[in-house]
Amino acid sequence: MAVNLEIKLGPLELAHPIINASGTFDVLAADKALEEDLFVSFPFAAYIPKTVTLQPRAGNPPPRLQETAAGLLNSIGLANHGIEAFITEDLHRLESLPVPVIASIAGEETEDYGRCAAMLDSREEVAAIELNVSCPNVELDGRALGLDPEKTRQATVLARQATSKFLIVKLTPNVTDIIEVAAAAVDGGADCVSLINTVHGMALDRYSLKPVLGHVTGGLSGPAIKPVALRAVFLVSRELDVPVIGMGGVTTAQDALEFMAAGATAVAVGTASFRDPLAAAMAPELGRLINEHGIGSASELIGVAH
Amino acid sequence: MDAGLIPAELLKCAVVESRQVGAYRLISFVAPQIANLAHPGQFLMIRMSGNELDPLLPRPMGIHNVESDLVTMLIDPVGKGTARLAAAGIGDRVSVLGPLGMGFRFEGEAPAVLVGGGIGISPLKLLARSLAAEGREVRCLLGFRTRKEAVATELFSGVRTDVITEDGSVGRLGLVSDPLPGCLAREPGKPTPEIFACGPSPMLAAVARIARECGNAAQVSVEAHMACGIGSCQGCVIRGAGGYLRVCNDGPVFDVEDISWQ
Ligand SMILES: Cc1cc2nc3c(=O)[nH]c(=O)nc-3n(C[C@H](O)[C@H](O)[C@H](O)COP(=O)(O)OP(=O)(O)OC[C@H]3O[C@@H](n4cnc5c(N)ncnc54)[C@H](O)[C@@H]3O)c2cc1C
Ligand SMILES: Cc1cc2nc3c(=O)[nH]c(=O)nc-3n(C[C@H](O)[C@H](O)[C@H](O)COP(=O)(O)O)c2cc1C
Ligand code: FES
Repeated sequence: MAVNLEIKLGPLELAHPIINASGTFDVLAADKALEEDLFVSFPFAAYIPKTVTLQPRAGNPPPRLQETAAGLLNSIGLANHGIEAFITEDLHRLESLPVPVIASIAGEETEDYGRCAAMLDSREEVAAIELNVSCPNVELDGRALGLDPEKTRQATVLARQATSKFLIVKLTPNVTDIIEVAAAAVDGGADCVSLINTVHGMALDRYSLKPVLGHVTGGLSGPAIKPVALRAVFLVSRELDVPVIGMGGVTTAQDALEFMAAGATAVAVGTASFRDPLAAAMAPELGRLINEHGIGSASELIGVAH
Repeated sequence: MDAGLIPAELLKCAVVESRQVGAYRLISFVAPQIANLAHPGQFLMIRMSGNELDPLLPRPMGIHNVESDLVTMLIDPVGKGTARLAAAGIGDRVSVLGPLGMGFRFEGEAPAVLVGGGIGISPLKLLARSLAAEGREVRCLLGFRTRKEAVATELFSGVRTDVITEDGSVGRLGLVSDPLPGCLAREPGKPTPEIFACGPSPMLAAVARIARECGNAAQVSVEAHMACGIGSCQGCVIRGAGGYLRVCNDGPVFDVEDISWQ
């Protein structure tokens, strides 16, 4: 029996639940290395480019990466060429993708979210907007805006006023109570929450005993954070009435199955794409697993763990 | 030849040769597509096939040599990922993405001076072969810490090589950059020699300084920690003359003037 993998994420109709995590798959760059492999079977049901900001950002000083036990620490620092270049240079190239594009935006202050959302509101190439309030590598009094429920709410309100597009708020796990922050985003007008961004962490050089990363601290991703992410998805989806995009360490179809059972409507693959650029091509296997569990469709799987 | 702009393949390849060369491990696997496309100085992202999650990510590895269907790499086991790859036995499978990046560019017919430090000698083998095949005069300066690493000089048979060790146990005592200025003078009737270098960053900085002082063109292959190897993550940057450069996509081979040596 074939399982129906189609998923509705607000107005977005996705062929299956697997999308990419922002910042971990740059089709415009990967295109050069992967060519046909990528476009013949585009692994994602929607595509989220790397987060862009009002002004271009060079990013943090190197080194920016360090592998840890079953995980990856990064301190990229939202390196991007700015929302204007994103709109004029990238968007029309992304239009040729066979899937909807979800733009990811971030700001240094709450007002930036409204400004960026306003710039994207009229763009037909953009199917939805994700507010990244959770990047741990951007200093804002040393804190991501998403650590504060009230700032999260304000940023969402300002973006909500600026656009009628489907609005996703991407949350950080580095908080005491993620339900409180998620509720603040929904209260501010979010249609959907996306979680989790990376977990605060650091690594020392084994010879010098000094921090490896140029930025000193960074964000942990990959299989090492899967239990943290699964808990966040489970708690938030059980408590709130909006769809959840789940991510954090998803590497196999079994992981995707578990995230959906925990309450995710869509599942994003990040670090696993570095391990294998086509790792995200897991939808057929996900379908097989869903069938094996005697469940008729992907949408019926959502939240069965609750 | 148009370096770099060729498709990469994600392949599972069988290891057919695995042997110790002094301190390093030489491993060959069957990968006709890569062997066919590889340009000197390009690299691979490589890990053991399978579901092992630690090490998690592939490691960047230079292409040491290609021979019909075979691709050879030379590994210095400095940590978890390289140690795991160095332990690959015959019949094991490796997952490989490549060839990646912009390799050495060669135009003209200047005599080539190749400078390798430690495991940085690895990509110079294929480079030396390709340059020689184009009729260029090739000379290699290979620097190592001790005799144990210097054993790898045997991989350069047939190429004019000078060996330099930091402890003087083989060849000349000192750093590989010491004899470099003496190799750079322009000989009558020939173009000014061009430098191609790969090695640890202090060595590359010395090469860049010498190239500037002596007025020679120089290309260097640099290292960075990588996650994707294909320009996706922006993790592998180094400081360039006009901002950050991605080692995987913009390099790993750069003209010395394009890099900020501060
Ligand atoms: C384009 C490119 C080509 C490369 N080609 C090759 C190649 O052909 N062969 C090869 O062996 N390697 C090559 N490398 C380097 C190789 O990718 C790294 O050594 C490897 O990624 C390290 O991973 P690891 O898990 O073994 O080490 P990790 O567990 O990450 O730890 C090793 C780290 O410890 C540090 N370290 C290790 N030894 C020492 C030391 N003696 N003193 C001080 N610090 C030290 C280094 O910072 C190193 O990153 C290449 C790298 C690049 C970017
Ligand atoms: C190198 C790197 C860059 C990232 N850049 C962004 C970004 O620009 N915007 C964002 O919202 N999340 C970013 N993230 C976080 C991921 O989207 C994702 O939330 C996190 O890595 C957890 O998923 P994973 O374990 O599957 O990687 C980045 C993660 C990594 C590893
Ligand atoms: S390793 Fe990801 S951009 Fe270079």
